[in-house]
Amino acid sequence: MAFHALVTRYGSFALAVPALIWQVCFLYLPVIFVLSDSFLSGSGSLWQRLSVEHYAVIVDSLHARVMVRSLVQALVVACSCLLIGYPVTYLCALKARRLKSIFLFLLMLPFWTNILVHIYAWFFVLERNGLINSILMRLGIIHEPIAFLYTNAAVTLVMIYSYLPFMVLPLLSALEKFNTTLIEASLDLGATPTSTFFNITLPLTMPAVRTGFFLVFVPVFGEYAIPTLVGGGKSLNVGSMISAYYLEARNPALGSAFTVVSSMVILVVVWLLYYLLSGPKRAKEHA
Amino acid sequence: MIGIRLENIVKSFRSELILEGLNLTIEEGKFFALLGPSGCGKTTLLRLIAGFEMVDSGKIFLGDQDITQLPIHERPIKTVFQSYALFPHMNVFDNVAYGLRIKKLAPALVEQKVTRMLKAVHLDAHQYKSISQLSGGQQQRVALARAIVNEPDVLLLDEPLAALDPSLREKMLVELVDLQEKYKTTFIYVTHDQAEALAVADEMAIMNLDGVIEQIGSPKQVYEFPASSFVAQFVGTTNIFKGVIRQERYLQVQGLGELEVVLPADKRWAREGSHVCMSLRPEKIEITKQQTAGFSNMLTGVVEAIVYQGRYTQYKVRLKNDTSILVFEQNEEHFPQQEIDYFDEVLLYWQKENATLLER
Repeated sequence: MAFHALVTRYGSFALAVPALIWQVCFLYLPVIFVLSDSFLSGSGSLWQRLSVEHYAVIVDSLHARVMVRSLVQALVVACSCLLIGYPVTYLCALKARRLKSIFLFLLMLPFWTNILVHIYAWFFVLERNGLINSILMRLGIIHEPIAFLYTNAAVTLVMIYSYLPFMVLPLLSALEKFNTTLIEASLDLGATPTSTFFNITLPLTMPAVRTGFFLVFVPVFGEYAIPTLVGGGKSLNVGSMISAYYLEARNPALGSAFTVVSSMVILVVVWLLYYLLSGPKRAKEHA
Repeated sequence: MIGIRLENIVKSFRSELILEGLNLTIEEGKFFALLGPSGCGKTTLLRLIAGFEMVDSGKIFLGDQDITQLPIHERPIKTVFQSYALFPHMNVFDNVAYGLRIKKLAPALVEQKVTRMLKAVHLDAHQYKSISQLSGGQQQRVALARAIVNEPDVLLLDEPLAALDPSLREKMLVELVDLQEKYKTTFIYVTHDQAEALAVADEMAIMNLDGVIEQIGSPKQVYEFPASSFVAQFVGTTNIFKGVIRQERYLQVQGLGELEVVLPADKRWAREGSHVCMSLRPEKIEITKQQTAGFSNMLTGVVEAIVYQGRYTQYKVRLKNDTSILVFEQNEEHFPQQEIDYFDEVLLYWQKENATLLER
């Protein structure tokens, strides 16, 4: 086959090769290693080593509780980001024409700084002699410093702060190109501003809401740095559990099994949430 | 079916004054056209009536009710948007039913009204289609139906046909007039297209670039008796002569001599020696190569350009004073008695009654 024909036939595929190599080396291969670690034990031939004994260890109430705790954590953070992010983004995109860039800069700031930097910045705010405690003491509201650090509340707070940009960015791109004449049309037809929001604006920006929700939900489920540093490693979640198996217990087999199970769980949950967030309207349309 | 009254409306955007004390009364049940060049403030006026913008000062009355401060969703006024603004996540039926459902009408009644409305705009076969499946003309009809089904006191139309191609536009104009006659709603139709306005309006207002209404009247009044040279030039095509009034019956024009005119009796500005304009529509002029009797005015010139338009021919004739005027001649015959060609010497005749004297 002539070179030219090869290029026209496989040319577009060739463009994907660098990305594919990257994906294969740093995603698919590691996933295969994790999978094989989780299903192999003892010695002998491959067939003899095949077993589900690691999974038998993993499937118990302790691990289930860790997973549920992480799911709840992810749900709380994702919902909070949505409830904080949507109104702010709405104002930015549709109302505050001139202050928009300043708003956005402040919102995006955590996105541009290293995660460790802003986690430690929160230490100065939350610690015993930190900003909040000194202000409260100075004002005479409290007499003993409150232990904010190493609590679940602190972990949630820092997570919301760190993940807010992931919610705001897709919402912003959707709301910025939102046709505001549709809002005017709805008001014109007699709908109140509130009912206009729920009938028109929200349904039409639902794809962005979904994207933002999953961009927060999925990584928070496996988040490792924030619970470990801000939470002080006091309560186990999926991220710290996996790292404990690999790095502390030196048991990659159990770590892998747990990783596989938690990945399955998040896949199923995301799939369920996807349909939940599509809303009943869309389902009717397809029927 | 209640009229609209605007009193002393002032509106500015970022210190730029758009409307400066505008007064306008629109009678109920009229098809009213608001005509003006782009950027003259006619859309602003419409948005003030709809409630999308609030006035700086002045009052808006709907019938006897002061609606100046009423929020958009409480005004019994509906809008047809230039971009249609149809809801893309709803089908045709749901779009049209939107306003009725918001009013919490019984589902059976909604169904009945929407079905009847869709039939009236010939969309009954498309009611379950999504908006993106419709053509421009069909989307336009959905937008109309969605507004009219709510039986508004006033329907505002913001250049509703601007996005359609010319042949479809003519068809929709006829449908609009039919709908207005059927529902007897007061229509306020904003456009910069004078042909559209002339075709549909019972009454029209012409707004100039300063946001001032220069004339209100029936299309015929506005076309035949324009109140200013702006109106004369904006509505239709015209020739403007500037000159001085002499002996109460002549307009002395530089380089053309004296043209016989009829002075408007009731106008104080039309006096001996005052500087005025005269508007002479191109179709009121007779173009010929032969001496003709019976006309009060005659000018000579040289044909400079000929544009054949099918039902009429457009001539550009250079006059003695080195200005050009336009003449439209109906193509009444297959074989005209005289052929007029480029650079021909021609005679232009008109009756003094067919020209209009204007103050400015």
